[in-house]
Amino acid sequence: MRLIHTFTGLLTIIGAAFLFATAHALITDPVNIDPPPTNTGDGSVTPRDPGGNEPDVIESPVPVTTNDTPDSDLPDDALLDAPVPEGMLTLRESHSLFMQDVYFIDARHEHEYEEGHIQYAFWLPSTLFDTDSDRAYGVVDSMPPDATVVIYCVGGECDSSKNTARRLASHGFTDLRIMGVGYAEWVEAGFPISEGVEP
Amino acid sequence: MNKPLTPLTSHTESALLQLPLRLLLGGLMMYAAYNKIPAIQSFAEAIKGFGVLDVESHSELIIIAAFVIPWFELIAGLLLLIGLRGRSAALGIGLLLIMFIAGLLNVIFGDIDADCSCFGDANIVCGSSVGWCQVIRNLILLIPAGYLVWRGPGRLSLDHILSGSNQSPDTHAYQAQSSGSVVDQDPSRA
Repeated sequence: MRLIHTFTGLLTIIGAAFLFATAHALITDPVNIDPPPTNTGDGSVTPRDPGGNEPDVIESPVPVTTNDTPDSDLPDDALLDAPVPEGMLTLRESHSLFMQDVYFIDARHEHEYEEGHIQYAFWLPSTLFDTDSDRAYGVVDSMPPDATVVIYCVGGECDSSKNTARRLASHGFTDLRIMGVGYAEWVEAGFPISEGVEP
Repeated sequence: MNKPLTPLTSHTESALLQLPLRLLLGGLMMYAAYNKIPAIQSFAEAIKGFGVLDVESHSELIIIAAFVIPWFELIAGLLLLIGLRGRSAALGIGLLLIMFIAGLLNVIFGDIDADCSCFGDANIVCGSSVGWCQVIRNLILLIPAGYLVWRGPGRLSLDHILSGSNQSPDTHAYQAQSSGSVVDQDPSRA
Protein backbone atom coordinates (compact mmCIF):
# COMPACT_ATOMS: atom_id res chain seq x y z
CA MET A 1 0.00 0.00 0.00
CA ARG A 2 2.81 2.34 0.91
CA LEU A 3 4.55 1.48 -2.35
CA ILE A 4 1.48 2.34 -4.40
CA HIS A 5 1.03 5.55 -2.42
CA THR A 6 4.65 6.49 -3.08
CA PHE A 7 4.46 5.81 -6.80
CA THR A 8 1.16 7.66 -7.26
CA GLY A 9 2.78 10.57 -5.47
CA LEU A 10 5.73 10.41 -7.84
CA LEU A 11 3.42 10.35 -10.87
CA THR A 12 1.60 13.36 -9.45
CA ILE A 13 4.89 15.27 -9.16
CA ILE A 14 5.86 14.32 -12.73
CA GLY A 15 2.43 15.41 -13.98
CA ALA A 16 2.69 18.72 -12.16
CA ALA A 17 6.18 19.26 -13.58
CA PHE A 18 4.88 18.69 -17.12
CA LEU A 19 2.01 21.07 -16.47
CA PHE A 20 4.27 23.88 -15.26
CA ALA A 21 6.81 23.16 -18.00
CA THR A 22 4.11 23.43 -20.67
CA ALA A 23 2.88 26.72 -19.26
CA HIS A 24 6.47 27.95 -19.08
CA ALA A 25 7.15 26.93 -22.69
CA LEU A 26 4.08 28.86 -23.82
CA ILE A 27 5.15 32.14 -22.26
CA THR A 28 8.90 32.08 -22.82
CA ASP A 29 11.08 32.48 -25.90
CA PRO A 30 11.38 29.36 -28.04
CA VAL A 31 14.37 27.15 -27.31
CA ASN A 32 16.57 26.45 -30.29
CA ILE A 33 19.29 23.80 -30.40
CA ASP A 34 19.59 23.44 -34.16
CA PRO A 35 23.08 23.79 -35.65
CA PRO A 36 23.93 27.49 -36.01
CA PRO A 37 24.22 29.01 -39.49
CA THR A 38 27.95 29.49 -39.97
CA ASN A 39 30.23 30.29 -42.88
CA THR A 40 33.46 28.57 -43.73
CA GLY A 41 36.85 29.54 -45.06
CA ASP A 42 38.55 32.89 -45.05
CA GLY A 43 37.01 34.31 -48.22
CA SER A 44 35.12 37.57 -48.28
CA VAL A 45 35.03 39.16 -44.84
CA THR A 46 33.66 42.23 -43.13
CA PRO A 47 36.32 43.41 -40.68
CA ARG A 48 35.88 45.47 -37.55
CA ASP A 49 36.10 48.66 -39.53
CA PRO A 50 34.60 48.16 -42.98
CA GLY A 51 34.51 51.90 -43.70
CA GLY A 52 38.27 52.25 -43.69
CA ASN A 53 38.35 54.64 -40.76
CA GLU A 54 40.62 54.19 -37.81
CA PRO A 55 39.81 50.85 -36.23
CA ASP A 56 38.12 50.77 -32.86
CA VAL A 57 40.89 50.64 -30.36
CA ILE A 58 40.30 47.84 -27.93
CA GLU A 59 42.97 48.20 -25.36
CA SER A 60 43.83 45.36 -23.08
CA PRO A 61 43.90 46.63 -19.52
CA VAL A 62 46.68 44.32 -18.45
CA PRO A 63 50.09 43.60 -19.88
CA VAL A 64 49.68 41.76 -23.11
CA THR A 65 51.65 38.74 -24.13
CA THR A 66 51.87 39.30 -27.81
CA ASN A 67 53.72 37.21 -30.31
CA ASP A 68 52.96 39.05 -33.52
CA THR A 69 53.93 36.49 -36.04
CA PRO A 70 55.01 37.69 -39.46
CA ASP A 71 53.73 35.58 -42.34
CA SER A 72 57.23 34.42 -43.12
CA ASP A 73 57.55 32.97 -39.66
CA LEU A 74 54.37 30.93 -39.50
CA PRO A 75 54.44 27.53 -37.81
CA ASP A 76 54.59 24.38 -39.87
CA ASP A 77 51.79 23.34 -42.18
CA ALA A 78 50.87 20.32 -40.10
CA LEU A 79 49.65 22.60 -37.32
CA LEU A 80 48.16 25.27 -39.55
CA ASP A 81 46.25 22.84 -41.74
CA ALA A 82 45.42 20.24 -39.12
CA PRO A 83 42.08 18.57 -39.92
CA VAL A 84 39.05 20.23 -38.37
CA PRO A 85 35.36 19.24 -38.24
CA GLU A 86 33.48 19.98 -41.44
CA GLY A 87 32.38 23.57 -41.83
CA MET A 88 34.91 24.95 -39.36
CA LEU A 89 38.04 27.03 -39.79
CA THR A 90 41.53 25.62 -39.78
CA LEU A 91 44.19 27.40 -37.79
CA ARG A 92 45.57 28.92 -40.99
CA GLU A 93 42.15 30.30 -41.97
CA SER A 94 41.57 31.59 -38.45
CA HIS A 95 44.90 33.39 -38.41
CA SER A 96 44.23 34.82 -41.85
CA LEU A 97 40.95 36.26 -40.58
CA PHE A 98 42.71 37.60 -37.49
CA MET A 99 45.13 39.44 -39.75
CA GLN A 100 42.12 40.92 -41.58
CA ASP A 101 40.98 42.43 -38.29
CA VAL A 102 37.71 40.60 -37.81
CA TYR A 103 35.99 40.12 -34.46
CA PHE A 104 36.97 37.15 -32.32
CA ILE A 105 34.74 35.72 -29.57
CA ASP A 106 35.96 33.45 -26.78
CA ALA A 107 33.19 31.06 -25.68
CA ARG A 108 35.14 29.25 -22.95
CA HIS A 109 34.80 29.62 -19.19
CA GLU A 110 35.57 33.02 -17.69
CA HIS A 111 38.64 31.84 -15.79
CA GLU A 112 40.05 30.29 -18.96
CA TYR A 113 39.47 33.55 -20.81
CA GLU A 114 41.14 35.61 -18.10
CA GLU A 115 44.16 33.31 -18.06
CA GLY A 116 44.65 33.97 -21.74
CA HIS A 117 42.74 34.52 -24.94
CA ILE A 118 43.24 35.46 -28.57
CA GLN A 119 44.20 39.10 -28.70
CA TYR A 120 41.22 41.46 -28.74
CA ALA A 121 38.74 38.58 -28.40
CA PHE A 122 35.63 39.31 -26.41
CA TRP A 123 34.35 36.86 -23.81
CA LEU A 124 30.85 35.71 -24.71
CA PRO A 125 29.73 32.22 -23.70
CA SER A 126 26.10 31.56 -24.54
CA THR A 127 25.22 31.28 -20.85
CA LEU A 128 26.16 34.95 -20.39
CA PHE A 129 22.91 35.91 -22.10
CA ASP A 130 21.07 34.31 -19.17
CA THR A 131 23.37 35.12 -16.29
CA ASP A 132 24.55 38.65 -17.13
CA SER A 133 22.53 39.86 -20.08
CA ASP A 134 23.80 43.46 -19.76
CA ARG A 135 27.37 42.28 -20.28
CA ALA A 136 26.33 39.96 -23.10
CA TYR A 137 24.41 42.65 -24.94
CA GLY A 138 27.29 45.03 -24.35
CA VAL A 139 29.40 42.74 -26.50
CA VAL A 140 26.63 42.15 -29.03
CA ASP A 141 25.96 45.86 -29.42
CA SER A 142 29.65 46.59 -29.99
CA MET A 143 29.66 44.57 -33.20
CA PRO A 144 27.73 45.37 -36.40
CA PRO A 145 25.50 42.43 -37.35
CA ASP A 146 27.11 42.09 -40.78
CA ALA A 147 30.63 41.87 -39.36
CA THR A 148 32.63 38.69 -39.67
CA VAL A 149 32.81 37.04 -36.26
CA VAL A 150 35.08 34.12 -35.47
CA ILE A 151 34.12 32.09 -32.40
CA TYR A 152 36.37 29.65 -30.61
CA CYS A 153 36.43 27.49 -27.50
CA VAL A 154 38.69 24.62 -26.53
CA GLY A 155 38.52 23.19 -30.03
CA GLY A 156 37.24 20.18 -31.84
CA GLU A 157 33.68 19.25 -31.07
CA CYS A 158 33.23 21.57 -28.08
CA ASP A 159 29.70 22.89 -28.11
CA SER A 160 30.37 26.31 -26.58
CA SER A 161 31.26 27.98 -29.90
CA LYS A 162 28.16 26.60 -31.59
CA ASN A 163 25.97 27.73 -28.71
CA THR A 164 27.34 31.26 -28.88
CA ALA A 165 27.01 31.26 -32.68
CA ARG A 166 23.37 30.23 -32.33
CA ARG A 167 22.71 33.12 -29.94
CA LEU A 168 24.46 35.62 -32.22
CA ALA A 169 22.54 34.32 -35.24
CA SER A 170 19.31 34.90 -33.36
CA HIS A 171 20.45 38.52 -32.89
CA GLY A 172 20.87 39.01 -36.61
CA PHE A 173 24.55 38.22 -37.14
CA THR A 174 25.05 36.88 -40.63
CA ASP A 175 28.74 36.00 -40.98
CA LEU A 176 29.61 33.67 -38.14
CA ARG A 177 32.57 31.31 -38.35
CA ILE A 178 33.78 28.72 -35.90
CA MET A 179 37.38 27.79 -35.29
CA GLY A 180 37.81 24.05 -35.56
CA VAL A 181 40.91 24.20 -33.40
CA GLY A 182 41.06 25.55 -29.90
CA TYR A 183 42.91 28.20 -27.98
CA ALA A 184 45.71 25.76 -27.13
CA GLU A 185 46.60 25.34 -30.81
CA TRP A 186 46.55 29.12 -31.27
CA VAL A 187 49.04 29.47 -28.43
CA GLU A 188 51.14 26.60 -29.75
CA ALA A 189 51.40 28.42 -33.06
CA GLY A 190 52.70 31.49 -31.28
CA PHE A 191 49.90 33.76 -32.48
CA PRO A 192 48.93 36.96 -30.57
CA ILE A 193 47.27 36.50 -27.21
CA SER A 194 46.19 38.68 -24.30
CA GLU A 195 45.52 38.13 -20.64
CA GLY A 196 42.84 39.61 -18.40
CA VAL A 197 39.60 41.11 -19.60
CA GLU A 198 38.91 43.09 -22.75
CA PRO A 199 36.83 46.21 -22.07
CA MET B 1 14.51 -3.54 9.86
CA ASN B 2 11.42 -1.98 11.41
CA LYS B 3 12.08 -2.08 15.10
CA PRO B 4 9.34 -0.65 17.34
CA LEU B 5 9.44 3.10 17.57
CA THR B 6 9.35 4.97 20.81
CA PRO B 7 8.28 8.60 20.97
CA LEU B 8 11.83 9.59 21.83
CA THR B 9 13.62 7.76 19.02
CA SER B 10 10.97 8.75 16.53
CA HIS B 11 11.15 12.44 17.46
CA THR B 12 14.94 12.39 17.74
CA GLU B 13 15.35 10.76 14.37
CA SER B 14 12.93 13.20 12.81
CA ALA B 15 14.59 16.25 14.33
CA LEU B 16 18.20 15.19 13.90
CA LEU B 17 18.11 13.26 10.65
CA GLN B 18 14.99 13.45 8.57
CA LEU B 19 14.32 17.16 8.87
CA PRO B 20 17.91 18.31 8.18
CA LEU B 21 18.25 15.87 5.30
CA ARG B 22 14.97 17.08 3.84
CA LEU B 23 16.06 20.69 4.16
CA LEU B 24 19.43 19.92 2.57
CA LEU B 25 18.17 17.86 -0.35
CA GLY B 26 15.00 19.84 -0.94
CA GLY B 27 16.86 23.13 -0.68
CA LEU B 28 19.55 21.99 -3.13
CA MET B 29 16.96 20.86 -5.64
CA MET B 30 15.09 24.14 -5.37
CA TYR B 31 18.34 26.08 -5.76
CA ALA B 32 19.19 24.05 -8.87
CA ALA B 33 15.76 24.76 -10.32
CA TYR B 34 15.99 28.45 -9.40
CA ASN B 35 19.16 28.72 -11.51
CA LYS B 36 17.84 26.70 -14.43
CA ILE B 37 14.29 27.97 -14.92
CA PRO B 38 15.30 31.47 -16.12
CA ALA B 39 17.97 29.93 -18.40
CA ILE B 40 16.19 27.16 -20.28
CA GLN B 41 18.12 27.81 -23.49
CA SER B 42 21.44 27.30 -21.67
CA PHE B 43 20.14 24.18 -19.94
CA ALA B 44 18.94 22.75 -23.27
CA GLU B 45 22.40 23.39 -24.69
CA ALA B 46 23.93 21.65 -21.67
CA ILE B 47 21.70 18.60 -22.14
CA LYS B 48 22.66 18.52 -25.81
CA GLY B 49 26.32 18.75 -24.78
CA PHE B 50 26.00 15.60 -22.70
CA GLY B 51 25.59 13.67 -25.93
CA VAL B 52 23.02 11.28 -24.46
CA LEU B 53 20.34 12.24 -26.98
CA ASP B 54 21.11 12.71 -30.66
CA VAL B 55 20.29 16.29 -31.55
CA GLU B 56 19.33 15.38 -35.12
CA SER B 57 16.66 12.86 -34.19
CA HIS B 58 15.73 13.80 -30.63
CA SER B 59 15.89 17.57 -30.49
CA GLU B 60 12.28 17.74 -29.24
CA LEU B 61 13.11 15.39 -26.37
CA ILE B 62 16.06 17.58 -25.39
CA ILE B 63 13.84 20.66 -25.32
CA ILE B 64 11.10 18.86 -23.36
CA ALA B 65 13.69 17.66 -20.83
CA ALA B 66 15.09 21.18 -20.55
CA PHE B 67 11.67 22.48 -19.52
CA VAL B 68 10.49 19.56 -17.38
CA ILE B 69 13.60 18.74 -15.32
CA PRO B 70 13.89 22.16 -13.60
CA TRP B 71 10.18 22.19 -12.76
CA PHE B 72 10.41 18.65 -11.46
CA GLU B 73 13.36 19.69 -9.29
CA LEU B 74 11.42 22.68 -7.98
CA ILE B 75 8.23 20.78 -7.16
CA ALA B 76 9.98 17.72 -5.71
CA GLY B 77 12.37 19.94 -3.74
CA LEU B 78 9.52 22.01 -2.32
CA LEU B 79 7.46 18.95 -1.38
CA LEU B 80 10.45 17.35 0.30
CA LEU B 81 11.23 20.56 2.14
CA ILE B 82 7.75 20.80 3.66
CA GLY B 83 7.39 17.06 4.02
CA LEU B 84 4.34 16.63 1.83
CA ARG B 85 4.42 13.41 -0.18
CA GLY B 86 7.93 13.21 1.21
CA ARG B 87 8.69 9.65 0.17
CA SER B 88 7.52 10.28 -3.39
CA ALA B 89 9.58 13.45 -3.63
CA ALA B 90 12.68 11.70 -2.27
CA LEU B 91 12.16 8.82 -4.70
CA GLY B 92 11.82 11.23 -7.60
CA ILE B 93 14.95 13.11 -6.60
CA GLY B 94 16.83 9.83 -6.19
CA LEU B 95 15.82 8.68 -9.68
CA LEU B 96 16.79 12.07 -11.09
CA LEU B 97 20.21 11.82 -9.44
CA ILE B 98 20.71 8.35 -10.92
CA MET B 99 19.79 9.73 -14.34
CA PHE B 100 22.28 12.58 -13.88
CA ILE B 101 25.01 10.15 -12.84
CA ALA B 102 24.38 8.07 -15.98
CA GLY B 103 24.65 11.22 -18.09
CA LEU B 104 27.85 12.31 -16.34
CA LEU B 105 29.41 8.89 -16.87
CA ASN B 106 28.49 9.07 -20.55
CA VAL B 107 30.36 12.37 -20.81
CA ILE B 108 33.38 11.11 -18.87
CA PHE B 109 33.78 7.82 -20.72
CA GLY B 110 32.86 9.40 -24.04
CA ASP B 111 35.66 11.95 -23.55
CA ILE B 112 33.20 14.76 -24.30
CA ASP B 113 33.90 18.36 -23.34
CA ALA B 114 30.68 19.41 -21.60
CA ASP B 115 29.46 21.71 -18.88
CA CYS B 116 27.54 20.16 -16.01
CA SER B 117 24.96 22.94 -15.58
CA CYS B 118 23.87 20.92 -12.55
CA PHE B 119 23.03 24.13 -10.69
CA GLY B 120 22.68 26.34 -13.74
CA ASP B 121 25.60 28.71 -13.88
CA ALA B 122 26.43 28.27 -10.19
CA ASN B 123 28.99 25.77 -8.98
CA ILE B 124 28.59 23.86 -5.73
CA VAL B 125 31.68 21.97 -4.56
CA CYS B 126 32.66 21.03 -8.12
CA GLY B 127 33.66 23.14 -11.11
CA SER B 128 31.54 23.69 -14.18
CA SER B 129 33.21 21.11 -16.43
CA VAL B 130 31.97 17.56 -16.05
CA GLY B 131 34.26 15.29 -14.07
CA TRP B 132 34.33 12.66 -11.35
CA CYS B 133 33.62 15.34 -8.74
CA GLN B 134 30.03 15.69 -9.96
CA VAL B 135 29.57 11.92 -9.99
CA ILE B 136 30.78 11.64 -6.39
CA ARG B 137 28.65 14.61 -5.32
CA ASN B 138 25.54 13.02 -6.81
CA LEU B 139 26.37 9.66 -5.26
CA ILE B 140 26.63 11.36 -1.88
CA LEU B 141 23.28 13.07 -2.44
CA LEU B 142 21.77 9.69 -3.21
CA ILE B 143 22.38 8.64 0.40
CA PRO B 144 19.90 11.10 1.99
CA ALA B 145 17.47 10.49 -0.87
CA GLY B 146 17.57 6.74 -0.24
CA TYR B 147 17.30 7.24 3.51
CA LEU B 148 14.22 9.44 3.13
CA VAL B 149 12.58 6.94 0.79
CA TRP B 150 13.21 4.25 3.38
CA ARG B 151 12.26 6.15 6.54
CA GLY B 152 9.88 8.73 5.17
CA PRO B 153 9.85 12.46 5.92
CA GLY B 154 9.49 11.97 9.69
CA ARG B 155 7.26 13.53 12.30
CA LEU B 156 8.18 17.11 11.58
CA SER B 157 6.44 17.06 8.24
CA LEU B 158 3.14 17.93 6.64
CA ASP B 159 2.61 14.27 5.85
CA HIS B 160 2.55 13.55 9.58
CA ILE B 161 0.39 16.55 10.46
CA LEU B 162 -2.14 15.88 7.71
CA SER B 163 -2.32 12.15 8.39
CA GLY B 164 -5.08 12.77 10.99
CA SER B 165 -7.31 9.70 11.24
CA ASN B 166 -5.51 8.15 8.29
CA GLN B 167 -2.35 7.87 10.37
CA SER B 168 1.03 7.03 8.96
CA PRO B 169 2.65 3.75 9.95
CA ASP B 170 5.05 5.56 12.27
CA THR B 171 2.19 7.28 14.06
CA HIS B 172 0.34 4.01 14.36
CA ALA B 173 3.37 2.30 15.89
CA TYR B 174 3.91 5.13 18.36
CA GLN B 175 0.31 5.22 19.56
CA ALA B 176 0.11 1.46 19.84
CA GLN B 177 3.25 1.41 21.96
CA SER B 178 1.98 4.22 24.16
CA SER B 179 -1.14 2.22 24.89
CA GLY B 180 0.85 -0.94 25.48
CA SER B 181 -0.64 -2.93 22.63
CA VAL B 182 1.36 -5.16 20.32
CA VAL B 183 2.32 -3.52 17.10
CA ASP B 184 2.32 -5.33 13.82
CA GLN B 185 5.50 -4.17 12.18
CA ASP B 186 4.98 -5.95 8.92
CA PRO B 187 5.84 -3.23 6.39
CA SER B 188 3.60 -4.81 3.79
CA ARG B 189 0.61 -3.94 5.96
CA ALA B 190 1.66 -0.38 6.44
